[in-house]
Amino acid sequence: MPKPGFMVSEVYRNLFRKRATILYPFKERELVHLPEGFRGRIVFHRDKCIGCRICFMVCPARAIEMVKDEKGLRPVFHIYRCIYCGQCAENCPRKAIEMSDIFENIAFDKKTLVVK
Amino acid sequence: MIEILYKILEILVFPGFTFIGLLSLLYEWIDRKFYARLQNRVGPLYAGPHGILQPLADFIKLLAKEDITPQAADKLLFTLTPIIFFTLNLLLTLLLPIYSTSGVISFTGDLIFFVASLTIISIIVYTAGIASVNRFATIGAERAMLQLIGYEIPFMLSIISVALTANSLTIRNIVEKQSGLWYVFGPHILSFIIFVITAQAELERVPFDIPEAEQEIVAGWLVEFSGKKLALFRIGRDIETLLLCGLGAALFLGGPAGPVIPGLEPLLYTLYFVLKSIVILLILTTLRAIFARMRIDQMINISWKYLIPLALISVLLARVIY
Amino acid sequence: MSFYIPIGPQHPVHPEPLLMKFKVEGEQVVDVEINVSYTHRGIEKGFEYRDYLKGIYLAERICGICNAAHTVCYTQNIEQLLGKEIPPRAKYLRLIVEELSRIHSHLLWLGLAAHQIGFETLFMYVWRDRERVLDVIEAITGNRVVTSYNTIGGVRRDINPQIEHKIRKAMDYLEKRTKYFKKVIMEEPTVLMRTQNVGILKPREAIELFAVGPVLRASGIKHDVRADDPYIAHDEVPFNVATYDTCDVYARILVRIDEVLECINMIRYSLDHLPSGPYRLKLPIIIRPPPGESVSRVEAPRGELLHYVMSDGTEKPYRYKVRTPTLANIPATARMLTSRKNYVVYIADIPIIFGSIDPCLCCTGRVAFVDIEKGRSWVWSYSQLIKYSRERFERHD
Repeated sequence: MPKPGFMVSEVYRNLFRKRATILYPFKERELVHLPEGFRGRIVFHRDKCIGCRICFMVCPARAIEMVKDEKGLRPVFHIYRCIYCGQCAENCPRKAIEMSDIFENIAFDKKTLVVK
Repeated sequence: MIEILYKILEILVFPGFTFIGLLSLLYEWIDRKFYARLQNRVGPLYAGPHGILQPLADFIKLLAKEDITPQAADKLLFTLTPIIFFTLNLLLTLLLPIYSTSGVISFTGDLIFFVASLTIISIIVYTAGIASVNRFATIGAERAMLQLIGYEIPFMLSIISVALTANSLTIRNIVEKQSGLWYVFGPHILSFIIFVITAQAELERVPFDIPEAEQEIVAGWLVEFSGKKLALFRIGRDIETLLLCGLGAALFLGGPAGPVIPGLEPLLYTLYFVLKSIVILLILTTLRAIFARMRIDQMINISWKYLIPLALISVLLARVIY
Repeated sequence: MSFYIPIGPQHPVHPEPLLMKFKVEGEQVVDVEINVSYTHRGIEKGFEYRDYLKGIYLAERICGICNAAHTVCYTQNIEQLLGKEIPPRAKYLRLIVEELSRIHSHLLWLGLAAHQIGFETLFMYVWRDRERVLDVIEAITGNRVVTSYNTIGGVRRDINPQIEHKIRKAMDYLEKRTKYFKKVIMEEPTVLMRTQNVGILKPREAIELFAVGPVLRASGIKHDVRADDPYIAHDEVPFNVATYDTCDVYARILVRIDEVLECINMIRYSLDHLPSGPYRLKLPIIIRPPPGESVSRVEAPRGELLHYVMSDGTEKPYRYKVRTPTLANIPATARMLTSRKNYVVYIADIPIIFGSIDPCLCCTGRVAFVDIEKGRSWVWSYSQLIKYSRERFERHD
């Protein structure tokens, strides 16, 4: 038996509930909670890197570039190409690559989105 | 001489055009905020405290946008229809009893004038759709006319039942006759329900926003209007909302009647009128939130099979009981 | 008198581009012509330039919402080529994430269907409750929509008891809300008016036109890849195949809501019976499978998904083919959208009929030829395509 206006009681109950919207990004930034294991921006520890080039071979988006510096080969990460898959962090034999929980990776200039 | 000046001030400022303009923007804000709270959202928030300036901001933004006229459109009608729509709606607000039992203008038979002008407004909508020569606009205009066939008769019948009880076709007399008991608490509860449903259809809101169905025909008859013309249509639609809520408050809820302190009468009367029309506005917003959209053939079906017999019964009740 | 209406590539409501040209008379639709060539991205060619590990991420991005199904199909394909079997814990974990993504996809679709019939309130409520599923998926895999959970040889992460507790609480909440939405659909008269006897596809037509997924199951035909051809752990986790008999849009909505309830039960069962052990096989980064071919099929949220791979011994595939469920449903949609003798289709029914097949047009793009000067567009038939490919093969030989 169809009852017109079936949702009336639910709709009026929602008038008194707290809103479901978080007022990010102007006011309530601390309410955005990220679980552990969140795949955010790459953080690189230079001292643990041995220059094996596995991250360069594995990256699906070709966002890693190998350069030579005074200690040997090391990767440079181009964040604007990164697809946050986590393959580099997973395959690094010395755990020199880590994924942090920074998710706001935007900039006006592409050259600032590079992790050295 | 001072009388004429006083009247001009009434027409232009209070309770005339400026007051109506600002009040209709307030009503749009109340509608959007209430609708959002019913859906557990926030609604307008950032323009002004609690977003109260958002409708004004939308209006000003539209005035600044580019105004494009399609090449194939009928240029005279395309330019005239927004102006006539806005002007007619604004003119009719002078008939509402806002600050006393009669409006700024009141004459015998002004209820008939009111209802006939609302029909002309719907025909203006049709003309606007046909004048912008576009497939979607044609379909939207045709649907608007079909919807007019559906809701016009129950709308008029519900108003006629009130006029029969009050024995007059002047809004002032109907308001004055309600000083004892408001009509909605009497046998006119059925007319009130039919009035609310057909007002929703007149204003083209869900479940009756068929001429403007966004998912199917982009924007229906409004599709080619942009810039200042769209701004005039939108604010005309807001003023029409104020008109119908005000008419409902005047005919069914006793107009500006209520407990008074002598000396402060215009202010208190305005306050009561605004509060009562906000109650009707909240009912219309709830209707908007709990239904899906109907198809045009289903709408005409329901209107002729259920609404018109109920409206006839309400007229009969009005005649028999009073 | 009749004229043509385009529900065109740019539309304010349909989020993906396709062109449907309708011939209408008044308010009734008489004929339709569908053109799906706007989202062709060259993915099948892209597979030939990437080795197998990078190909997982390309397969994942064929479709944003069904990405779990695409990766399960891809990794299953490659594991069949290599001849390896993944450990039982990996199978159950893959099943949990696949069913969670099915719940997510169906809830997203339910909100969109409510939006197509103008019911904004239901749209907002369903999308608010979908956030719980996204939080659970984020806790398990690290990202909300594009999960990147499967890899060749198993899954990439394990779950711990905190995540398990979170999953169970979310399942309880979702079951309550889904039953409420089912009651709203079945009892609100405006929804019933818009969805009953609209978009009818008779069972015989459904089989002739090769419809797949919930479109087929809403016409009364009991066919589901998880039951007929079980993959990962579907032969051990019991479930019912949801079918309805009325063959219209109303039946399709109810089939999908019932599938959500079944998924909730399957997740609870697999959490109770999760085997212990390793969750991943150790495989090298660059894989060189032996030459051969392999086919795998999976029940994506939209229907049956098919992947085919042919390898020639190197680290990149020689040919990869994807057949998505929406492409299979397009001829059935064209049949549903034309009026016949006593079955009338109105313009107002177009969005909900098209929405009821759950279109995911990013999976669908195929090529069409357009001649701008003469103003016409055409597609090749199967025999023309075979003739062209033979000529090219002979010329390059």
